[in-house]
Amino acid sequence: MSVIEVRELTKRFGSVLAVDHLSFTVEQGTVVGFLGPNGAGKTTTLRMLLGLVEPTEGSATINGQSYRDLRAPLHVVGAALEASAAYPGRTARNHLRVQAIVGEVPSSRVDEVLELVNLTEAADRRVGHFSLGMRQRLDLATSLLCEPEILILDEPANGLDPEGVHWLRGLLRDIASQGKTVLVSSHILAEVAQTVDSVVILDHGRLISHSTLAELTARDRQAVRVRTPRAQELAAALAACNATAEFLGAEQLRITGATSEQIGTLAAEHAIPIFEAATEATDLEDVFLQLTAAADQTQTPP
Amino acid sequence: MIRLIRAELLKLSTIRLPYGLLTIAAALTALFATLEASRAGSAGTGVARLTTASGLSTVTTVTGFAMLLAAVLGAIVTTGEFRHASATLTYQATPRRTRVLVAKVIVAAAAGALFGLVGGVIATGVGLAFASGDHAHIALSTGTLLGHIGGAICGAALLAALGAALGSLVRSQLATVISIFVWGIVIESLIGGLFTSIRPYLPYTAATTLAGAKLGNAAFGPAHGEAGTVGPLPFIATFALLAALAVVVSVVAARTTVARDIT
Repeated sequence: MSVIEVRELTKRFGSVLAVDHLSFTVEQGTVVGFLGPNGAGKTTTLRMLLGLVEPTEGSATINGQSYRDLRAPLHVVGAALEASAAYPGRTARNHLRVQAIVGEVPSSRVDEVLELVNLTEAADRRVGHFSLGMRQRLDLATSLLCEPEILILDEPANGLDPEGVHWLRGLLRDIASQGKTVLVSSHILAEVAQTVDSVVILDHGRLISHSTLAELTARDRQAVRVRTPRAQELAAALAACNATAEFLGAEQLRITGATSEQIGTLAAEHAIPIFEAATEATDLEDVFLQLTAAADQTQTPP
Repeated sequence: MIRLIRAELLKLSTIRLPYGLLTIAAALTALFATLEASRAGSAGTGVARLTTASGLSTVTTVTGFAMLLAAVLGAIVTTGEFRHASATLTYQATPRRTRVLVAKVIVAAAAGALFGLVGGVIATGVGLAFASGDHAHIALSTGTLLGHIGGAICGAALLAALGAALGSLVRSQLATVISIFVWGIVIESLIGGLFTSIRPYLPYTAATTLAGAKLGNAAFGPAHGEAGTVGPLPFIATFALLAALAVVVSVVAARTTVARDIT
């Protein structure tokens, strides 16, 4: 069942087309990465989804309703859109107490979420004295306060140190294991790759790809590195099978267009000894960059 | 709505700015009341002796600064959301934005009332202290003095509500706060000096008359102290005028800027 449905969503700011007929859905209980380079239209899309920005065309719904029509929005959707949404002169605890009143949750929940994001010790410090990473954690705490079914997080890893990013991944995995739906935006695929079930990629406000990670990696022509004393012969045999071999040394080949199984079988047929064969790890970032670069080329006039 | 009002009250009470503004309002009221009391009865000052009702009320009704700062507080209640980008979170929690505006105007009025109370009590205290120090007869009845304090509470509350509505309309904190000071101190003074007949309808001047101030005593420019031929509107009419103005500005804001995109 789709809990988030974006249909032909378009937003124009004057002459700038920020989001261009974007359509995608997010299924219940999945973690979806929302990816695109800076300025791709991710934040504008999320703001339209949350009723903060009025679409020029199209619709964005949550559980079949527009956000503004949700009866208890904080219990349906928890969102963290920017790390500066808390008043700098207010303490983290008081910031959450205000949200607890609006969301009608007991104030004991404030302490729970502060502990969840490791901010208990800083709870009575003013937010203006927080580091960017601490503000990100506070935003996460705010989004989790009312135990929503859906989480929408805009670049939550921004400002987090490596330990913080590791912690965030763990938190997202934990949330996903509870059957909740998460839509998390990022401009770095590697940041979310370990957590997401599928990715929506956009650039220049347009949908570039909506696929699972497996489908995304399958797009990449994976290479196999082979070491053999008869590299020339193997390269010739591979060429006959429409695979490409690149010489990395006298005995080393980098082969694309054939799997390691196909290469092994071919070598056996020709009685070519293989000393070593290794499939190169797919670089998701390369796939992402290839996709967005291809989109750029189609957008740029010759 | 009660929930939203509670949240807005907590927002206001958990930052330092309102306390700072209230302290400034109290200090300015004490300062100007003391200055007025010190020069009461001196030739050429236009302030009668403190033994007279006119002289004493000149001191006990020096609540204009508290009212002006109440309007500034009201503006901060609404514009602070845009200055610190917290409107994103506020409207996420309450997508029906008009409800947020109504809650903010109510809370601004309540906080403004406190400014009026503090200003009224301090001005009255200074006036009575000077009058009793001179062993002078207290020329104003307790009822009149309490009425002035009540008027200061009403005037400050209404100006704070108007400030909150104006803040919603303008969004920029700096522009709204500057507008309030320029309007109260310069524009009303000039307009009031040039066209004395419209003085009772000018919002800041009207609010000060609720607290018993004479028309023109709130201003600093050519209108200051000028008696003119027109008296203030009746209390109820002034109250209704200011309340209506706050409602009109709120409605205009709700239909225009409040509905705008939060980017």
